[in-house]
Amino acid sequence: MNEIRGFVGKEGRPKNVGIYVHVPFCLSKCHYCDFCSVTGADGSKKDAYVSRICDEVREFADRIKQTGELPQADTVYFGGGTPTLMSAEQFARILEAVELNFGISQSAEITAECNPRSADLKSLSRLRKTGVNRLSIGMQSIHTRELKALGRIHGFHDFKVTVCEARDAGFDNISADLMYGIPHQTRESFCESVETLASLAPEHISSYCLTVEEGTNFHRRRDSLDLPDEDTVGDMYDDMCEILTKYGYHKYEISNFSKEGKESRHNLKYWTGENYLGFGSAAHSYFDGVRFAHSRDIDAYIEGKGTIIDVEPIDKREAMNEYVMLGMRLSQGIDVSSFKERFGEELLEAFGKIRQYSPEFVEISDQKCRFTEKGTFVSNSVLSDVLDFGE
Amino acid sequence: MSQSDRMKKIRNFSIIAHIDHGKSTLADRILESTQAVSKREMEEQVLDNMDLEKERGITIKARAVKLDYIAPDGEQYVFNLIDTPGHVDFNYEVSRSLNACDGALLVVDATQGIEAQTLANAYLAVDADLEIIPVINKIDLPSADIDRARNEIEEQIGIVAEGCPAVSAKTGLNIEQVLEAVVRDIPAPKGDEDAPLKCLIFDSYYDSYLGVVVNVRVFDGKLRAGDRIRLMSTGKEFDVVEVGTMEAFGLCRCDELCAGEVGYITASIKSIGDTRVGDTVTLATNPAKEALPGFKSAQPMVFAGIYPADGAKYGDLRDALDKLQLNDAALAFEPETSAALGFGFRCGFLGLLHMEIIEERLEREFNLDLITTAPGVIYEVKLRTGETVMIDNPSNYPSADMIEVAKEPLVKASIITPTEFVGGLMDLCQDRRGIFNDMKYLDSTRVELHYDLPLNEIIYDFFDALKSRSRGYASLDYELKGYEPSKLVKLDFLLNGEQVDALSFIVHEEKAYSRARRTAEKLKENIPRQLFEIPIQAAIGAKVIARETVKAMRKDVLAKCYGGDITRKKKLLEKQKEGKKKMRQLGSVQVSPEAFMAVLKLGDDD
Repeated sequence: MNEIRGFVGKEGRPKNVGIYVHVPFCLSKCHYCDFCSVTGADGSKKDAYVSRICDEVREFADRIKQTGELPQADTVYFGGGTPTLMSAEQFARILEAVELNFGISQSAEITAECNPRSADLKSLSRLRKTGVNRLSIGMQSIHTRELKALGRIHGFHDFKVTVCEARDAGFDNISADLMYGIPHQTRESFCESVETLASLAPEHISSYCLTVEEGTNFHRRRDSLDLPDEDTVGDMYDDMCEILTKYGYHKYEISNFSKEGKESRHNLKYWTGENYLGFGSAAHSYFDGVRFAHSRDIDAYIEGKGTIIDVEPIDKREAMNEYVMLGMRLSQGIDVSSFKERFGEELLEAFGKIRQYSPEFVEISDQKCRFTEKGTFVSNSVLSDVLDFGE
Repeated sequence: MSQSDRMKKIRNFSIIAHIDHGKSTLADRILESTQAVSKREMEEQVLDNMDLEKERGITIKARAVKLDYIAPDGEQYVFNLIDTPGHVDFNYEVSRSLNACDGALLVVDATQGIEAQTLANAYLAVDADLEIIPVINKIDLPSADIDRARNEIEEQIGIVAEGCPAVSAKTGLNIEQVLEAVVRDIPAPKGDEDAPLKCLIFDSYYDSYLGVVVNVRVFDGKLRAGDRIRLMSTGKEFDVVEVGTMEAFGLCRCDELCAGEVGYITASIKSIGDTRVGDTVTLATNPAKEALPGFKSAQPMVFAGIYPADGAKYGDLRDALDKLQLNDAALAFEPETSAALGFGFRCGFLGLLHMEIIEERLEREFNLDLITTAPGVIYEVKLRTGETVMIDNPSNYPSADMIEVAKEPLVKASIITPTEFVGGLMDLCQDRRGIFNDMKYLDSTRVELHYDLPLNEIIYDFFDALKSRSRGYASLDYELKGYEPSKLVKLDFLLNGEQVDALSFIVHEEKAYSRARRTAEKLKENIPRQLFEIPIQAAIGAKVIARETVKAMRKDVLAKCYGGDITRKKKLLEKQKEGKKKMRQLGSVQVSPEAFMAVLKLGDDD
């Protein structure tokens, strides 16, 4: 879609694309959150935002058509913010625009993020009817004290209710978010959260370690947060992997667990270097070898002002770096022959340093290169050494 | 000695003061009032033209400037204002600059009174036989106490301060009184224009076009371009290319320099090492019988290893040191190799300030990131073989069984402090193995303490401790006293079982255990957790006296990597990689230069 092009494999533009829609509306801002979101947006603002997204979907599609074949959307992901603060009609409008301009494949995975109690049975049923077939619900913890410390406005009970209502509304693919390394959390309290969540049997679990990002409420209070130390956090991760395995989940990415066949197809696109287009403020895209993003300015976005920033063509070396950085996040690691096919180079020659970390931190065979259990949680140390950013 | 009419109209003087008492500001006002510099052109503190000097408010190198002054009676005078370094590290340079003068303005801050360096500088001026004119400065400040300052000058230095100028260099108030006092009270130079040439070198610097520019005060004789000169300490000879005077904004060529005058010489001299401060310049054809007294070659007292943080910059560091040495004969360096830090230099400095200045100039002017080892002094070790060796690098310190007796340098230190801090400062000196000599009341509120202190205690954070225990009020001055036998040990540090040579230091036996423990703790705090566990040990010889462990890293992961913002995650890894590049491989352990410096810079009270 841009004149600027980065590295694209010899097969050219893939037939499919992931669509990300950023919905920057929230009832309140969580203390750790550095995503683009606003509270208190009224109906007309949301409407205007949705209209702009629909327009932009059409504009992107038109421009993409001019430079080659238009790909079809096989995943759509509504992220936030709290997407379920939009009405089902608004979801429908956006999905119609995507369908009309890109087409949505029959088997598409269409996800909406949702906070407990931001939707009820009625609204979830209507949401399901728009075509959204996967729900990602932010549970984070089962403990009131921890939830409060995070600035979450729901309790564990609210989460349970929302899961039940989602099931009743016909969602058979539910993901839940967990957090660890958060204020007041202990190894025991976290294990309890993991165990309780697993027993509710969502199809997918994402579990993120808290990072205190600049500009957040937590960052301002960073010295007085009662955070578990590095060793405890390490133990938490190990405990979690163990418990979730026991409950029939498999870890397919550093922070993602799923029941068989229920991996997040949209998120996998990020880790396997596939194309995706992001709509809405602060949404990121990767298309035809170019990364770009929208600025975080919601009003400018609504007004249709040029908010595209950070346009970065990814050359071959960068693409190789990203492929390793992202591919190594996956439990299956990198397929050595796929790497060769894509880049025409041998993985172990391009990133020879990785051998130094075998076998303790990295497992290398003729087919695969992947982190060991021990290597996974210290992967940055290895990757930052192995990747080649040039001078 | 005779005095020509020309000489009668010359005044050679300098300004001396404790740091921050307003020396440079007064110099600026004098320059302005003599119209050497117009107000518009006036950049704050013309004389201090190194950035570092302006920031730190100190003068590092001596400088001189010739000014034309028209007295109220219409008589025209030539003022040669010779600026002096204001710090104890540069005492020798101060004394040479003062020897080039006939008088000195002693600036005293009316809000502070006399400080350790005021006294030290005043004594140097008295030693140089100068007429001293006290100038009480900062009288515009509400807390100024002119009478107290006068009393202190009279009582402590023993010179008449009644009727001396009281000014505000900042506002320019009463500056004309200073100029009139210079004409009235500072004697005109004496000398014989027909006698064999005798010039005192009080400064020299390297200029890439002119070669070394030598700043001199002519005592006897005359000097012209084309003359063949001889430097009396080395006997080296050069042909004079140019002579002239130092004007406010640059060199001004002239036909000849005569007895009583201050000026510069260029003679295609390549190395500043040939033009040592304090040396005497004479003519090769008609040499003076004897040199001017007081010449010493600069003796480094403090030593440290300086290494480029990035090993590839070794060549750049050598070039930078070469360049700095062009203008700093007191800087000594020779290549050394450390197993931990790679290739670098063992550098010798006049003192801690001198060392800090060199470090800062290397970093700023040459854009180098440095790792500097703990500063040390030079030890005199008599071996059982009867041989005596001087040790400036802990790595070369002989093992205990080879040593007959080890000696360390002692200094005579003088500390001036408000009385309320005396207790704390005496504790500090005691703790630093000081030997109390005496205590003198300057007045009812201030005391001068005299201690003999081991130099290696002074360079170990003494100045900061002094300031923190006196809320910044105490001042320090010291001079080398000599070498005394001492119970010294070499403390080594091992990371992951491997000795890190750059961390070794020499310490007094009694201090070894606490220093070992604190350094080990600091290492633990500052060495980031790595993929494996790292034992830290402190040892004297084979005996381990402290240990710590850096546990293996448990978590270093981008837990959350979705939403498609790959660029930001990539940048994080890129930054991490950048950070690693700067890391030093100490055996199998990676340590950042910052961590290294943090370990070497142990605070006093931690």
